[in-house]
Amino acid sequence: MASIASPAVDNTIDTPGRRTPLITGNQTYSSVTHMVARISEEAQPAIWWIAFCIAFPLLLMFGALIGYLILTGVGVWGNMSPVFWGWPIVNFVFWVGIGHAGTLISAILFLFRQNWRTSINRAAEAMTIFAVICAGTFPGIHVGRAWLAFWLTPYPSLNLWMWPQFRSPLLWDVFAVGTYASVSLVFWYMGMIPDLATFRDRSKSKWRRMIYGILCLGWSGSSRHWMRYEKAYAILAALATPLVLSVHTVVSFDFAVSQLPGWHTTIFPPYFVAGAIFSGFGMVLTLLIPVRAIYNLKDLITPRHLDNMCKIILATGSMVGLAYTTEFFMAWYSQNPYEFFTFWNRAFGPYWWAYWAMFLCNVISPQLFWFRTFRTNTVLMWIVTIFVNIGMWFERFVITVTSLSRDFLPSSWGYFQPTWVDIGMLVGSFGLFTTLFLLFCRYLPIVAISEVKGVMSQHAHAEHRLAHGKH
Amino acid sequence: MSEHKVEKKAKPPRAFGWMAEYEDENKLLDAARKVRDSGYTRTDAFTPFPVHGIDEALGIKPTVLPWFTLFAGMTGTIVAITMQIWMNAVDYPYIISGKPYISLPAFIPVAFELTVLFAAFTTVFAMLGLNGLPKFSNPVFSNPKFDRSTDDRFFLWVDSRDKYFNSDKVKNLLSDTSPLSVEEVREDESPTEIPRSLITVILTLILLTLVPGAIVLNIRTAKSNSPRLHVFFDMDFQPSLKTQTPAVASIFPNGRVQQPPVPGTVARGELEFADPYYLGYDPAATASLGGSSVNLVSFQDGDKTPTRAAVPDDGQPPSPADQPATTDAPAETPAEEKIVQETGPAAPAQESTAAQEPAAPVAEVTAQVEEPASADEAAPVADLPTVPANAEPNYAWLTEFPLPTDEALFDLGRRKFEQNCAVCHGFSGYGDGLVSRRAEALAQGYWLQPTSLHAAAVQQQPVGRLYYTVTNGKGKMGGYGASLNPKERWAVVLYVRGLQRSQNAQDSDVPPGMTVTTQK
Repeated sequence: MASIASPAVDNTIDTPGRRTPLITGNQTYSSVTHMVARISEEAQPAIWWIAFCIAFPLLLMFGALIGYLILTGVGVWGNMSPVFWGWPIVNFVFWVGIGHAGTLISAILFLFRQNWRTSINRAAEAMTIFAVICAGTFPGIHVGRAWLAFWLTPYPSLNLWMWPQFRSPLLWDVFAVGTYASVSLVFWYMGMIPDLATFRDRSKSKWRRMIYGILCLGWSGSSRHWMRYEKAYAILAALATPLVLSVHTVVSFDFAVSQLPGWHTTIFPPYFVAGAIFSGFGMVLTLLIPVRAIYNLKDLITPRHLDNMCKIILATGSMVGLAYTTEFFMAWYSQNPYEFFTFWNRAFGPYWWAYWAMFLCNVISPQLFWFRTFRTNTVLMWIVTIFVNIGMWFERFVITVTSLSRDFLPSSWGYFQPTWVDIGMLVGSFGLFTTLFLLFCRYLPIVAISEVKGVMSQHAHAEHRLAHGKH
Repeated sequence: MSEHKVEKKAKPPRAFGWMAEYEDENKLLDAARKVRDSGYTRTDAFTPFPVHGIDEALGIKPTVLPWFTLFAGMTGTIVAITMQIWMNAVDYPYIISGKPYISLPAFIPVAFELTVLFAAFTTVFAMLGLNGLPKFSNPVFSNPKFDRSTDDRFFLWVDSRDKYFNSDKVKNLLSDTSPLSVEEVREDESPTEIPRSLITVILTLILLTLVPGAIVLNIRTAKSNSPRLHVFFDMDFQPSLKTQTPAVASIFPNGRVQQPPVPGTVARGELEFADPYYLGYDPAATASLGGSSVNLVSFQDGDKTPTRAAVPDDGQPPSPADQPATTDAPAETPAEEKIVQETGPAAPAQESTAAQEPAAPVAEVTAQVEEPASADEAAPVADLPTVPANAEPNYAWLTEFPLPTDEALFDLGRRKFEQNCAVCHGFSGYGDGLVSRRAEALAQGYWLQPTSLHAAAVQQQPVGRLYYTVTNGKGKMGGYGASLNPKERWAVVLYVRGLQRSQNAQDSDVPPGMTVTTQK
């Protein structure tokens, strides 16, 4: 039996000369399998049902509000001249941003050989898919006549034989988000095939065996299959890495390609991507801290994993802070009074509260992760990630609404007021997201079992080599 | 379970090969090397995770998968570029933002996304295809022990189709590699066909998903006498007036589509033109007075001659002498009575006595009498009679302050009066401000002495009239509506009222034991 002997519980400290264990406890291959598979085999804990009973009605409310919107018209939102991109677009960018962590963890960290990703990548990818579903909902209903949203695809309209306008960033966005959603989905699904086979093979009932058997496409674990599978995984990682960077770049083009002061800046693509990774890791931690406690996965998702994610949040949060500061520097350096007014107005205008809420949550709060206490105490960490989530929503609000509410013509300035439908839809989208995530925990492998075992094997190999001084 | 199966193997099931079970990957690797070195090529290993080094140990050749990815990616790029050029530059060319039809930089994002999309999907499906998946029936699954191949067991397999395959030799070879067990893989005895119930369910589901599409296609192509089925109304049925159709009587009784606003409607952003607080008079009551010279409604009705055109008003309060002589005095009187009666006697009755009021300096009164003629001549306004602004408007003035009057408002009024008004009107309001005195000293003849605020005519004006003057000016005096906000203007009016009372104080206004004496 390959096992990892690690008497020291604290694996956040690197000991020279010895590899720090990635997972703790005396784990064997079968104990890892059992730890993950039992989650979907046993009855769910009470807190799962409580969360589901909260989330599912919110999802129903979301559906009802979408129905109300479609039957009534987009006037039920607070979108009003001059702010025609109100909360729907804010929510879209917010959710797309959150959807960046999963593919980043599975693709970029894979290419960088960050083995600790194996414990968290499955849940993060699932989170990505669900966040992108939430994100995709908003532009779909924001187009006004939602039943004609398929005109966004390259489809000649019935009467005019007209095609989409490919010089518009809004259309690039359709392709970017569509590609990202579908590629993330197949990436996630492909990664899950071996673990679904594990579920199949542990099944006690015939139906369960049949359903998981179909889902895993008859995976047998043949080494020839594994070889092609690993090649495909590496290729997908290489494809998804530029893709994940391109998605929020294209989303930022929606803003940056326009002429509006406050949007028309070249810093937007890197700024948006850093913010997306920041918010994505914030949401991953927000979800995984409770999940590892509820399902007792503390040996798989160890303090070292949380510590690493906190460091990424700290790094990207500082990048976001740098971007905010750079915007002000450029506003001053350009010596363009209109540009300067826009940014001055953001921080000290009628939306000062949103700007400073954003600044406090996104720039100040992650700096707490310089302190080791905040990177090891899960409660403190969780609170900070909540601030990160709030702050990133406000960032999108600040960018979208403050720029639009005071554009070129002072006579057309206005102040955006959300309606109850706006608020209900934001809350409802969380219902959709949470419901999907709870169902994922209930039915699918939330940790990539086979990948964790692969890392265990490599680790045992390295330990072995260290002990004997040769292979 | 396995014993049970062994007993049932009486019929001759087909043997597929031998399989050995190992407890860790190192033993598997050693065994695989041994089997490879013995010359077997149709071998495979089944492991719960990709075992490092197994490719070399089993002699697995590299895959062609990356080539699929490369060609799919290139196809994606070409498709995207071609599609965009054809759609936006060939089939339906149109210019956007002055860009050329074929604007390659703008086509890059979609080209990139489609490259990734094609490459990624092809990679996944090619991987599955090369692996022969999905494949739900596999002889290795027949052994229950094999269930642990996705958990913690490692299996090595030698196929019976190998050209060197000899059942006993293979069994011995595998037994020498310290396996947990060595077993022959036999034909799966479980039924191979898919259960009929499952086929029924799947077929039913497929057929059901086709139903909506079939209905839509049928409706789109079939001819029908009944009206089109509207799923989404798209504003097709809004009650509106269309050309060549009778008026929609159900909307408005008069059959017109556009209606005048309901009386009392205040358009968005036009409160300042409708609320007495901003105007100093009640516009609704004013409209009901009729005959007002600045009534736009009368203009629209064809009454192009302002009724008040004959009145020469040039910033002076009408003198008692000519007030009765004006043609429109009867028209004005009812209005003044109606509003002013509540606070005091009617204006015309008071005017004669106001002229002799001792508080007003005599010099001022004479100046007022003398100057109007020269001022009128100095202003070469040809169409003076048609300008209604010079007329005394016949408005329903407010007689009471529309906001609470307190000391703070009074102080605000004093500050604003001293900043804006006192330079001409003087700190006490007698029209002896610094500007006025300097102009008097220059004695150039065209200076018009500012009105004394203590003149009887001014004293009797309702507060709304004073507010109107502060806002819009009067005669030579410019309006202060642009520089003082409504509250400040009302504050100035309050302060003027205070000044007037201070200059005409009665004994009852001062503390007991003091008397009022007039300073000459």
